[in-house]
Amino acid sequence: MREIQLPLSQTQKVRLQKALEQLESLSTKVNSDASVIIADSIHVNHEDGVLKGHGTADLNGEVVATLCGVVERVNKLVYVRALRSRYKPEVGDIVIGRVVEVAQKRWRLEINYNQDAVLLLSSMNMPDGVQRRRTAVDELNMRCIFEENDVVCAEVRGFQHDGLHLQARSRKYGKLNRGQLLTVPPYLVKRQKQHFHHLEEFGIDLILGCNGFIWVGEHVEAKDDMIEDQVSQSDSQVLFPNKNCVSLEEQEKNYTILETRKYISRAANAVRVLSTLGFNITLEIIKGIIDLSLSMNLDIHDMLGSEFCVLVAEKEAERRSSMKKRR
Amino acid sequence: MVGLSLGETHFIQGGIAQDLRCDGRKRLTYRPISVETGVIPQTNGSARVRMGATDVIASVKAELGKPSLLQPDKGKVSIYVDCSSTAEPAFEGRGGDELAAELSNALQRCLLGGKSGAGAGIDLSSLIVVEGKICWDLYIDGLVVSSDGNLLDALGAAIKAALSNTGIPRVQVAAGTSNDEHPEVDVSDEEFLQFDTSRVPVIVTLTKVGRHYIVDATSEEESQMSSAVSISVNRQGHICGITKRGGVGLDPSIILDMISVAKHVSEQLINKLDSEIASAEAEEES
Repeated sequence: MREIQLPLSQTQKVRLQKALEQLESLSTKVNSDASVIIADSIHVNHEDGVLKGHGTADLNGEVVATLCGVVERVNKLVYVRALRSRYKPEVGDIVIGRVVEVAQKRWRLEINYNQDAVLLLSSMNMPDGVQRRRTAVDELNMRCIFEENDVVCAEVRGFQHDGLHLQARSRKYGKLNRGQLLTVPPYLVKRQKQHFHHLEEFGIDLILGCNGFIWVGEHVEAKDDMIEDQVSQSDSQVLFPNKNCVSLEEQEKNYTILETRKYISRAANAVRVLSTLGFNITLEIIKGIIDLSLSMNLDIHDMLGSEFCVLVAEKEAERRSSMKKRR
Repeated sequence: MVGLSLGETHFIQGGIAQDLRCDGRKRLTYRPISVETGVIPQTNGSARVRMGATDVIASVKAELGKPSLLQPDKGKVSIYVDCSSTAEPAFEGRGGDELAAELSNALQRCLLGGKSGAGAGIDLSSLIVVEGKICWDLYIDGLVVSSDGNLLDALGAAIKAALSNTGIPRVQVAAGTSNDEHPEVDVSDEEFLQFDTSRVPVIVTLTKVGRHYIVDATSEEESQMSSAVSISVNRQGHICGITKRGGVGLDPSIILDMISVAKHVSEQLINKLDSEIASAEAEEES
């Protein structure tokens, strides 16, 4: 999803500008020195012997930024973290990737990193759920598990000699079906305790990948996974299953029901609105936007219009100022 | 662009079958369209059109030239399209040439009519200065800045907006020149003739996915298409050109149905586009 510029009318420009200024004033009080642009000076205590890290430079005894971003301090290390950049993995991150290659005993996944991530056959649960050693037959059947262009959810395991390794050792990881994948800048997704969300009232699953890939799809129960995997297990001996034998009529019956699809589209548009405005993407904000559009009885497509985006910005400014007063 | 998984393609096809696409649109609904005119000051006319994440720029340059021997009473119009490397990694180097040539041919077929010049959306006779001797040559250039599907419709809309923004200098022909000599002309720097765009058509592309067809397909939806028919319709409801792409053949009854649907859709699109162009021109003057 590429960045979309909103076609704003004059009134909407003024309203959006006011809301953004209000948001900036709220955040400025807390982190007045957090964001920097190139050549901004960074306040440091020289007596402590600071370490100048990435994105900083020494100029006449003063530490200045060489990047636009946010200042981070880790003990004595001071560095600037650029916002508009590719995803930088950390161990334990939940990521969503797309299979680009099936190699020997592994899949290569594109996760918006500067190189492909590796998911080993031994780093994931087998479809039948049995904990056993992988055999040569399993290697031959790797395309029955994930094939090219499949969307996979996994966890960052760490860096090895041959690149970044992922693992999918839990039932919640694995292939993602019946939904759509959205791409947002990675800095909009904060690391949280929970990245898997099941919106029960809507019947949809929401996975916020730390790499900016967000999956919105139909809810899948763990039990259904077991049953479905058993069905596919019976075909595991077939190297190239014939997936095109499903007729058009049978395919239509398998479509997501319209009510669930409406909620999937509404949630996806909520994420798109947040990405357009550059706001943090968290579950409560997404839910708030969905409820706002439902209360206004707004058409799903109109959520992407200028008027609703400006309204979301204004509501977010109100919400943060009320949270500010509550403290 | 990257490929799609089976689950995603199934979801997209289901959305089209159930008349609720991934972003909540119906089959015949367009993404938000925004128009900006006068974006390139060096040209006689220019415009920028955004349809969702698709972003294109069109410009018009006018030059005095000599009419073709075959049609001495008509001016000349050329259309070229270039795909910027920033739009898609695949457009790097010569990667976008094939798509650019395809778009150029489709635009010429939709806007300029046949070889006889009949049915052209642009009135070529208005470009004549002296019949058989001097005419205006229009060079229309399109640039794809960002590509998210439906490039042909966006380029057609951008060209229509650019022609609305075009000012052709007024030309005074020196009197008393004999009929055999090359006439002397004085091109004014102050006075400009506004181009008449009331007959310039809009292009509506109907993309067939499964059993249904949709307008304004995104990149993901275009990857699922079996074929696509582009129909240019003007304000009077006349068909100015039809092109088809995609490998699957279409039944004639389906094409006739597509034409009637395109006529219906083009009414709203023309009204929307004309109001956007008018507001863009007003904003440019202020």
